[in-house]
Amino acid sequence: MSASQADAGWQGTAVAPPSVRRWRFWPRSLAGRTALVLLLGLTLVQGLGLLIHALDRVDLQKFAQAREIAGRSFAAWRTVVLAPPDRRAAMLADIDLPQGLLASLDETPAVPLNAAPPPLTVMRLFRLEQLATAGPRGFRPQEARFAVLGPPGNFAASLRLPDGPWLNLRVRLPPPRPWHSETFLIAFAVMTLAAAALTLWAVRRLTLPVRALAEAADRLGRGVNAPPLPETGPAEVATAAHAFNTMAERIRRFVSDRTQMLAAISHDLRTPITRLRLRAEFMEDEEQRRKMLADLDEMEAMITATLAFARDDAAAEPSVPLDLAALCRTVLDEAADARPEAAEHVAYAGPEHLTVQARPTALKRALANLVGNALTYGGAARLTLARPEGSGRPVRLAVEDDGPGIPATELESVFQPFRRLEVSRNRETGGTGLGLPIARNILRAHGGDVVLRNRLGGGLAAVVTLPG
Amino acid sequence: MDPQPHILVVDDDREIRDLLSKFLERQGMRVTAARDTKDARRLWPLGRYHLVVLDLMLPGESGLDFARWLRGQDDVPIVMLTAMSEETDRIVGLELGADDYLAKPFNPRELLARIRAVLRRTSAEGGGQKEPPAKAIRFAGWTLEPARRRLLSPEGVEVPLTGGEYELLQVLVERPNRVLTRDMLMDLLHNRQAGPFDRAIDVAVSRLRRKLEDDGRNPSLIKTVRGGGYVLAATVDRA
Repeated sequence: MSASQADAGWQGTAVAPPSVRRWRFWPRSLAGRTALVLLLGLTLVQGLGLLIHALDRVDLQKFAQAREIAGRSFAAWRTVVLAPPDRRAAMLADIDLPQGLLASLDETPAVPLNAAPPPLTVMRLFRLEQLATAGPRGFRPQEARFAVLGPPGNFAASLRLPDGPWLNLRVRLPPPRPWHSETFLIAFAVMTLAAAALTLWAVRRLTLPVRALAEAADRLGRGVNAPPLPETGPAEVATAAHAFNTMAERIRRFVSDRTQMLAAISHDLRTPITRLRLRAEFMEDEEQRRKMLADLDEMEAMITATLAFARDDAAAEPSVPLDLAALCRTVLDEAADARPEAAEHVAYAGPEHLTVQARPTALKRALANLVGNALTYGGAARLTLARPEGSGRPVRLAVEDDGPGIPATELESVFQPFRRLEVSRNRETGGTGLGLPIARNILRAHGGDVVLRNRLGGGLAAVVTLPG
Repeated sequence: MDPQPHILVVDDDREIRDLLSKFLERQGMRVTAARDTKDARRLWPLGRYHLVVLDLMLPGESGLDFARWLRGQDDVPIVMLTAMSEETDRIVGLELGADDYLAKPFNPRELLARIRAVLRRTSAEGGGQKEPPAKAIRFAGWTLEPARRRLLSPEGVEVPLTGGEYELLQVLVERPNRVLTRDMLMDLLHNRQAGPFDRAIDVAVSRLRRKLEDDGRNPSLIKTVRGGGYVLAATVDRA
């Protein structure tokens, strides 16, 4: 968590992570994006498929209609040419003609002389050449005329009977109906929906490991001893999980190596310090003895702080219900007892009791560091504790001093380990440069944070938030 | 108290052993030093020891195992030297019945003060008649856990205490319904605190009352006795 987020949390305003939204409907999640792309592709493929299907259907329909019209036209001609002249009209009327074909017997041709014939494709499709030359000699049309009539594709044929009258055939094809089957459309819709549902399900399932990986990385960030990821699922996911677990294991080993090294160093230093303390008891010069013991105390404090920082003791301590108000007063009382000269500058304001869930030893160390800093560098430690403003809101705590404050540019950098300001280095105040980093580590491990700010009236305030 | 108490020091570091022996001998004690638990077991029947100073970090058998064995032999008081911030060792040690503990690197004068306090306490209690250490002491709904040095409220909430407050409370709950004068309290509190003791005790009592939700003007738990003393008015239940 960065300091800016901590500030936001303190002021209680939720700040969304910075992101530029280019498209309003572009989903944020990987699953959403994958699903959207797949569904768009599916829609496109289905649309094109539907179009191809329709075009093919129209072609087929046209072909079938043309063949039927050609056949019936031929049948009409045969009926008319074979029938006695007085019964021709009646027999023609009896013929069942398909939709789009009109036949009539007239004295005059429907197609004028020298009219342009329909294109060759139409002539072939409707077998018009065969119509003009079909049948045995004597039964063929005396004359055959063909012409485009009306919109393209429609035409008329005029065939002259051997004895004079014309058989006029008018072809007006019905508009194509590619969607004549309702079941087809329903089946198509069902198929599309099923594919979409399958896509959504599969995408969610496939992106689940990514979320699991992100959650595992988050857990690892909070505690090195987080449980490993299951190395199951598709090959890539299993590989990623394995790689993640290997990385986590290396981090764990690194941390434990470092911890063990520090523990070993501090253990080994414990013996010489103990010896030196004992030797100091045999020193004749009281002044030198006192100074030596003070140096040894300082050394021990530094080792203790380094060890506390390195081992991150907070993680090992169980979290219990704790009276934070009593803890604050305890820390202040102990600080005042340790420095009786500063006791009157130590004050507590807040509720008598306030229960939080916390690790007592760790939290006490964090608050003691803040109070100690305030007394050492600011000459006072006034602690104010405020109840959360509502459920889910943080507990707020501030430690204020009367010191000179610190430059605004250093407010954040003093939380870096071993970072000490010049004032602190120059003064005989000692300090390890670990007090604030340890306090922040502990508070963040509690789900809270600490920031520093210069007060308007002078002095520094350490502002602590803890989950309520 | 025995004019010359006999102390058994168990520590694996030769220099510390020698320096500590010299230091304690200069304070008028007789010291026998052992380098490990094997050595200590060998030395155990050879003398009558008033107190054992035991380092928990020993090669071979651990100090805790030796402390357990020692408890089976005798009620000899034990002052443990634990590694810095080894919380679990400390808790196990105190539960085993160690009488006090100090984190290494310890301050020799602090160790001397604790040794004297433990010796004074055991001789005052007649020696060997020690009660087994209580895991939890209950009074008026509150629970005091000596091994963890913590106080739990009736709701089970841990209420932090300063070192002085804790020790005062422990002294009070160990002697319920008995009037303890300031002088008695000072004696029982190992004389560890610096500064004006009378005032320190009054301050610690008022702080304790606040934490125990005991009304300072009309206290019902830690009552003030006219003439300068306090009494814990509660039934105490040891478990």
